[in-house]
Amino acid sequence: MNHISLTINKKMYSIDVEEDVRLIDLLRDQLFLTGTKEGCGEGECGACTVIMDGRVVNSCLVMAFQAEGSNITTIEGMSDKDELHPIQKAFLDKGAVQCGFCTPGMVLSAKSLLDKNENPTREEIREGISGNLCRCTGYNKIVDAIELASKEIREEKKE
Amino acid sequence: MINKCINPKTVEEALDILESNGKDVKLIAGGTDLVIDLRNNKIDKNILMNISKLKELRFITIDENEITIGSGTKFIEIIENQHIKEKIVGLWKACKSVGSPQIRNMGTIGGNICNGSMAADSVPPLLALDATALIIGKNKTRSVPLRELYLDKGKVDIADDEILYAIKFHRLREKESISFEKLGLRKALAIARISCSIYINLENNSIKDIKIATGALGKYPQRENHIEKRLVNKKVDEIILKDIAEEMSKHVSKRLKGRSSRSFKSIAIKGIFAEAYKSAIKGANDESHKSHNK
Ligand SMILES: Cc1cc2nc3c(=O)[nH]c(=O)nc-3n(C[C@H](O)[C@H](O)[C@H](O)COP(=O)(O)OP(=O)(O)OC[C@H]3O[C@@H](n4cnc5c(N)ncnc54)[C@H](O)[C@@H]3O)c2cc1C
Ligand code: FES
Ligand code: FES
Repeated sequence: MNHISLTINKKMYSIDVEEDVRLIDLLRDQLFLTGTKEGCGEGECGACTVIMDGRVVNSCLVMAFQAEGSNITTIEGMSDKDELHPIQKAFLDKGAVQCGFCTPGMVLSAKSLLDKNENPTREEIREGISGNLCRCTGYNKIVDAIELASKEIREEKKE
Repeated sequence: MINKCINPKTVEEALDILESNGKDVKLIAGGTDLVIDLRNNKIDKNILMNISKLKELRFITIDENEITIGSGTKFIEIIENQHIKEKIVGLWKACKSVGSPQIRNMGTIGGNICNGSMAADSVPPLLALDATALIIGKNKTRSVPLRELYLDKGKVDIADDEILYAIKFHRLREKESISFEKLGLRKALAIARISCSIYINLENNSIKDIKIATGALGKYPQRENHIEKRLVNKKVDEIILKDIAEEMSKHVSKRLKGRSSRSFKSIAIKGIFAEAYKSAIKGANDESHKSHNK
């Protein structure tokens, strides 16, 4: 057993983890934050994407003990109590969610992109979500949604 | 089976642990290669030591003559470095071509080198830059030319009690440049991830020095000395690229004898090589390069 301390969605945790547990296992099986999905388990699909210390990572490729001292945001940390995040709203408005399996990862990749680049081009959006696969939407609606979210976030800031 | 995980606070602490226990310890940096190997029970050590949080291994220093990159530096940090983006174009392109944003945010240059994959993208440009690996252990340090670091497929000349500390190469001056071209994008295609990187130094429009390195065309990335010899001291205008590409193809075909990928790779390398050659020449002639670089 390893004892680690980390922050997830602004909450501090101090917790024991087994040696062979990955970050995704810790999130899903120990903390029941099941919004993070496991698809391929090999870094290819991005369903397990979380934001770790300001950057998106595949939680299936991080060992839990490596997250010691880290600051992590999962999809559960996106909305503000009952209010959806503008990115989440835009995904719904633009019909960018079908089966939804890729959505948590997509939304976090979008957040990480918009945090660094308020007004990305469609090309930059595609690049930003290039590590997230979607079998359903054909991506265009996802790009539309992120474009819309970027506009709404900029407008919100102006107000 | 891993039964112990360690988060050392300093490189010194890590080296102490390696000195006393090295044969049982597996290092983990970004984990983008290793976690999959762990899951597939390919690792026979029982202690996992995390070096990804060691700040001492995460740096890029650019002094008057040399550039040194710490082994723990992530691809994203290399991509965001303005000097590398503008001057060490081939290395920048190689790092930028790795996996996805998520992989580049975690994966380190040291992990790329030490994993020993034949398709490690940062390695051909580093070979073409004739980079040196700086290796440290408790009370010892040594430097090894990168081209001598690879012993076999997946095997590098780094002992159980050592870690790769950094990688070092010369700054590029006027009339020098480095290019990189690659085929195949996703990891599923790793087998077809052929790449070629070329360092060139021009003088009076002839090739004063050239170093060519390829990826995924052998057990590990390697220099193509045969072809280099054919080009050095030649006038650029007199070089018939098509013929050289053909020679490269024959050479590769000979090396890959008996492998199923042989016919595909020996043809594919022609185009990749020609592109890398053209962009290296262009880079070395680039005026903007000159004006920035005294
Ligand atoms: C989906 C996916 C796509 C990928 N795409 C690419 C690609 O396009 N191009 C490419 O080149 N690679 C690719 N990779 C492979 C991988 O991301 C890179 O090789 C990466 O650089 C590995 O670095 P790491 O820090 O994650 O290494 P780790 O997985 O932590 O370690 C790899 C190996 O190196 C050893 N090691 C690490 N650091 C040191 C050190 N300082 N000293 C001694 N030994 C050390 C470890 O013990 C281990 O054996 C991909 C991987 C995935 C999962
Ligand atoms: S589950 Fe992690 S990338 Fe697919
Ligand atoms: S909505 Fe089904 S995978 Fe993207």
